[in-house]
Amino acid sequence: MIVYILPKNQARALAAALAEGYELYGPVLHGISGEPLFDRIGDPDAIRLDAAIPYNPPKTVVFPQAERILSYRYDRETRQAEIVRDDLVRPKALVGLRACDLAGLLCLDRFYLGQEYVDEVYRDHRKKMFIVANTCVRPFPQCFCVCTDSGPAAREGYDVALTAVGDHYLFETGSEKGEALARRLGLKEAGPDADAVKKKTVDASIASFDAAATENKAWISRVMNRITTGFIGNDVWEYIGDQCFECGACSFVCPTCSCFNIEDLAARDGRTGRTRSWDSCSYEGYTRMAGEHNPRRPVEDRRNKRFFCKLSYSQSKKYLRPGCVGCGRCVRVCPGDIGMSNVVTYIRREITKAGAK
Amino acid sequence: MSTLTGVCTFCGTGCGHLLNVEDGAVRGVFASPGHPVSRGRLCVRGWHIHELLATEERIAAPAIRRNGRLERVSFDEAVAFAAERLGRFSGDEIAFLASPRASNEDNYLLAKLARTVFRSPHIGLASDQGHGDAAEVLLEGAGMPAMLGALTEIRRAKLILVVGADIAKLNPIIGSELHRAARGGADLITLSSRRTQIAKLSGAHLWLKPGGLRHALAAAAKILVERGWRNEAFVRDRTEGLEDFARCLSGLDLEALAAAAGLTMVEIEDLARRLSRAPSAMAFFSSGISGLDRASVALLYDLFLAAGQVGREGCGVNPVPGICNIVGSYDVGASPRFLAGHRRAEGSEAGRTPRELLAAEPTTLKALVVADRDEEIVRHAARIKGLEFVLYIGAYDNPFTDFAHVVLPAATPAEADGTYTNAERRIQLNRKRVEPPAGVLPAWRACAAIAAKRGVSWDYSSAEDVMAEIAGAVPAYAAVTYPKLEKSFGLQWPCDARHESGTVRLPLEDPGRRLKFAAARADFAAPSPSEAFPLLLMAGKATYFWHRNNIMKKTHIPKREYNALLLLYPRGFVEVNPADAKTLGVRDRASVNVVAAGGSMRVSVRLSGDVKPGTVYVPYFIEDMVPGFLNAAGAAIDEDQDSVIPVRIEKV
Repeated sequence: MIVYILPKNQARALAAALAEGYELYGPVLHGISGEPLFDRIGDPDAIRLDAAIPYNPPKTVVFPQAERILSYRYDRETRQAEIVRDDLVRPKALVGLRACDLAGLLCLDRFYLGQEYVDEVYRDHRKKMFIVANTCVRPFPQCFCVCTDSGPAAREGYDVALTAVGDHYLFETGSEKGEALARRLGLKEAGPDADAVKKKTVDASIASFDAAATENKAWISRVMNRITTGFIGNDVWEYIGDQCFECGACSFVCPTCSCFNIEDLAARDGRTGRTRSWDSCSYEGYTRMAGEHNPRRPVEDRRNKRFFCKLSYSQSKKYLRPGCVGCGRCVRVCPGDIGMSNVVTYIRREITKAGAK
Repeated sequence: MSTLTGVCTFCGTGCGHLLNVEDGAVRGVFASPGHPVSRGRLCVRGWHIHELLATEERIAAPAIRRNGRLERVSFDEAVAFAAERLGRFSGDEIAFLASPRASNEDNYLLAKLARTVFRSPHIGLASDQGHGDAAEVLLEGAGMPAMLGALTEIRRAKLILVVGADIAKLNPIIGSELHRAARGGADLITLSSRRTQIAKLSGAHLWLKPGGLRHALAAAAKILVERGWRNEAFVRDRTEGLEDFARCLSGLDLEALAAAAGLTMVEIEDLARRLSRAPSAMAFFSSGISGLDRASVALLYDLFLAAGQVGREGCGVNPVPGICNIVGSYDVGASPRFLAGHRRAEGSEAGRTPRELLAAEPTTLKALVVADRDEEIVRHAARIKGLEFVLYIGAYDNPFTDFAHVVLPAATPAEADGTYTNAERRIQLNRKRVEPPAGVLPAWRACAAIAAKRGVSWDYSSAEDVMAEIAGAVPAYAAVTYPKLEKSFGLQWPCDARHESGTVRLPLEDPGRRLKFAAARADFAAPSPSEAFPLLLMAGKATYFWHRNNIMKKTHIPKREYNALLLLYPRGFVEVNPADAKTLGVRDRASVNVVAAGGSMRVSVRLSGDVKPGTVYVPYFIEDMVPGFLNAAGAAIDEDQDSVIPVRIEKV
């Protein structure tokens, strides 16, 4: 790993260079609301590296909401089926990925590229991907990555990591591809104090987190302990379940949620496409099994499943980290009031109450 | 992936969304942050609209029925054939079934086709009885035939009264806003005869006897008016007709009303007191599924008028329709009651609803033009099958296409420019975001093509041209233009010379505005249990059953959820309180007969504490339940209003 200097006015050149070999994705601002979105970028000038965390998760690029993974045609005469692995995956560059979203991507890697099973379509996406991470130099109101060990700076998984310092970025390379880009852009190496400068920037960022986020740090590990051991009263889950509108949004925006549904859809041209699409444990049909058995019918059981998945120790063993990366998106999209940080608060309230008895 | 801004076209909330479009096809959808109504949220339906917009299971080509089969023909041939056949009938012989899902532009031109080309006044929606009634009460009383308050002001309301159906299930994002308001300290009160999700999220649930809503509202109004808790200054300066209303109330017996409502006097007094003292208050009710009848809307409106809770920030009486463009459909005249601009249709301009004509015996009806609609078919299948000519215009096939003589494909909301007006009168523009399949046009172009074949030439080159004409015909839309809509998240009507950038809530200061009490003359008869039929059955609709469900079945996840429900309860279920179940000797999932005076049906029992002893609840999500039981039992379910049927449950 080498650290270079990228002048801020050269950020466009970085995006333009990547646009030659990749479809470019990055943070942009919505035309009417001005809200940041992670979107396909046509014009490298539109990219906004200083925008707040995008509302939609970049996981959409690697794990699309709906994606055809293969198609087949069945010939009734010959009783032959012709199956085609459609090669629809194109190389993509993700520019300005936040540390939390990159941590989420690594969780997805452990699910889709685990040792027991490798998902070929997902692997294709990942292999053809270029990642430019971006250190959060200022936290945004709903963020709590400091509580979940996933920010504000990325530690692994990137080709290039940027950190804004004054009029330039520190440009750290994390792969051979990243090195090649640095050479291509003709970047100068940073001085020997680069590490210290970065540490100072990151420390300042951590210090500026909302008190609620930093204070919750210890609580998240206590809540993990509670969830793992199952010591949470049913009334707490009911309180949470009553507020669940069963929309599925928490799963859709979550950088680590990997569950999907498979649907075969006949197209007009006679082929049948197999589509993989996002699914959510908040739906009753999600856990329904053959023979009409459904282990998690009441809504509070389904909510409970989500938080078990995100915060229990046994799940964390699979991800090698908590299943929550502290991006705070579930707080913003939830029609109820049961985003992750609120749930931690509800459980914390119960722990405190129990302790007082 | 490329995100394109638009508006969800399922329910009347009008949430903002971002469609993901890749390689010219819809691939996904995301909630739109910063949208003033939905503020970055969507419900389970909204999160899956891309599945519907991307489906290939749709009408792809024009067709004419020959020898009993629909045969693919050119657009021109289909239009010429339909125009010629329709031309054989007089205006009284044709009815036009418009769609509350279609855009304002589509509906405006369908109404124009009906009224000016075929001289038929018989144009209407289906499932709009509830909205029509609410619109009439509010038009006559306040001069504003839709929501008097605003969804964007829910968080400003200090008291919110939810009346009747479960808004958390029907319009989840409005339910979410109500929940947020309650978390922020607002007094959220639900008045309903079943413990719904919004009741669970409310600070107070006034658990009514089925059929007791009018009694509860009248009792609260009586207390408010007679105890001097009314807002005297507001009533004096802004309203007229309180005397008539007070006279209606004075003849009522408070104790009897409370008993019929199933509430205690303390509960009703408390409601009246809180309503009169709240700095601001809103009422919400569904004007679609399980909506209120006219008398209940009038009582609710009068109650809020007397309390002075109308026309200020965070105030208003707010009907919420279940379908995206019911409000707009009325605005542009897709109703036999109103012409464009809510001018009352009178004399030869006043028509009858397609529903009335289909039900009439004998009927003058010979031909039917249906635009993107799947209601009515269950109840009137035989009648529709017997019509001489049926034209269906729409994006998705449904049982109507089985009876249609000509089918014309139409573009989806993602494939054509068009505006949709939500519950809070917000006119929002959906731009064309993907190309329709070859040869598929927006429905308004089909109307224009038919008109042209009848020798009437309309000069519209775009939907924007149609909106320009609507702005001239509908006073509340006078200042609406596409460029203004495009730069914003919509404009709330009235949007005219006085209110250039729209109007958030009922504008009290407009010259000549005087609010009139609706002088509700309610019928206080209520169904009561008898020895033969000891239980009161309430009917509603299940979560994943949205209208005829034709649309939801084209999605994957909501369809799976619906199927999961069907697998569990193939014939439907009846919610029974555990105490009643014990008396009856039935267990969860037991098969029972539900018997009413007019008919019976076999369903499974679902034990639930959400119904009180003595009451049972049937969500209907199985089509057979309509002709087989609900119709026979005389339920108003088809009128989309709360219905109560005395029944008994028999073990089988």
